Amino acid sequence: MEHNQQKQSPLKKTLDFIFALITNNPIYKSIFRVGYPNTLLKRMAVMRSSFYMHIFPTKVGEHGLKLRYSWCMGGITFFLFLLLTLTGILLMFYYVPEEHRAFQDMKDLRFMVPFGVILRNMHRWAAHGMVLAVMLHMMRVFYTGSYKAPRQMNWVVGVFLLLLTLLLSFTGYLLPWDQLGFWAVTVGTNMASATPLMGYEGPFHELLGVQIDNDIRFAIIGGTRIGANALVRAYVWHCVGLPLIATLLMVLHFWRIRKDGFSGPL
Amino acid sequence: MAEENLSRRRFFNFVGWGSMLALFGGVGGAAAKFFYPGVLYEPRSTFNAGKPDEYVAPTGSETVVVDERWKKNQRVWLLRNKNGMYGLVGVCTHLGCTPNWFPSEHVFKCPCHGSVYNVEGEVIGGPAPEPLYRPKLSLSPDGSMIVTTGLLGIRRSNLQTTKKHKDVYWHEDEKQALVKPPFFLPLQS
Repeated sequence: MEHNQQKQSPLKKTLDFIFALITNNPIYKSIFRVGYPNTLLKRMAVMRSSFYMHIFPTKVGEHGLKLRYSWCMGGITFFLFLLLTLTGILLMFYYVPEEHRAFQDMKDLRFMVPFGVILRNMHRWAAHGMVLAVMLHMMRVFYTGSYKAPRQMNWVVGVFLLLLTLLLSFTGYLLPWDQLGFWAVTVGTNMASATPLMGYEGPFHELLGVQIDNDIRFAIIGGTRIGANALVRAYVWHCVGLPLIATLLMVLHFWRIRKDGFSGPL
Repeated sequence: MAEENLSRRRFFNFVGWGSMLALFGGVGGAAAKFFYPGVLYEPRSTFNAGKPDEYVAPTGSETVVVDERWKKNQRVWLLRNKNGMYGLVGVCTHLGCTPNWFPSEHVFKCPCHGSVYNVEGEVIGGPAPEPLYRPKLSLSPDGSMIVTTGLLGIRRSNLQTTKKHKDVYWHEDEKQALVKPPFFLPLQS
């Protein structure tokens, strides 16, 4: 003992002092409450006591972590959603959803805004990637049988999340206000006019007196044709409405995974 | 006594839940109503297309001349044949894109899903379920043409059946309807 103490160098003493300075204070201890997680109990306590970790299960089977089992597609989808939220908010600083500005603002983002072209392309490709990742995630869940009891509810929540992903893509399509998006949304929203009862071209519409200026398509695009109202509506749904609903459902989706655990190997 | 208490409780249950449902129904209805704008700032569905003699009449073996001057702003073609003029609304009856006029092939083709229409607006190919809509044509006192597209134009299959648009016209015979006012403007040539 004595021998060791004598051997302790000034460097080691300094490092110990700095270490104690960092760890022995209320701020550090309020963040890392459990201490070094060197036992199973402490590891589980870390997951339970941290807000950021508590969405994860306290214990995960080894098979559930294997890439060839999960493909990490759910995680990639969530990562892309976060990336889309971040780049989307940055795009909102320069983009105005107004008939005479929208297309020009998109052009400016590509050519005049510093790093704008990277920002826009990140948003665009992440959006394509998210649709792809969601579908691969769904396929994986199907192949591993992870939709079966007791996880049926999470499958249903996932189907709604798929729908929201597609709706986010669709509403984002109109925002550049170019020919491609304009006609795609014209075609897409015209399909709503064939809704039974509620669409002016759908079956039984005459029973409710539904016409072109009071049907479900009219409520979606705020007019009888794609125009200024449709652009603002697409913008608000794209930037506020749909992400909010998607976030709530994602919270539910992740919480359910934590409660149900990972399904076993086949 | 006990029965009386129970029925009172049930009564208040009905009143309580009933007013809750009425409230939610009202709020839901108001929320739905909110998405229907009360005023639209869309282009007028009526425009003055100038005098008929500003439009070229067909000559020789030509049967009809398609005029494209109103396509961009009004989404309407005005066509002049040997007897007079009629219009076609440039909204594809499939899913609402604007078809293009191909003079060499004498047809309208939609770029979105390939519907093809002849100069009468009849479908000769592609997925379109119905002929092109027709606008109403009339002459103003000074002799210029007033073109009314309604909200989307007049749908031919609607002539006798349903009241789908605000200005739907009933006619005994569809073929007759399309060569008579208001869908056709007879001209002496």
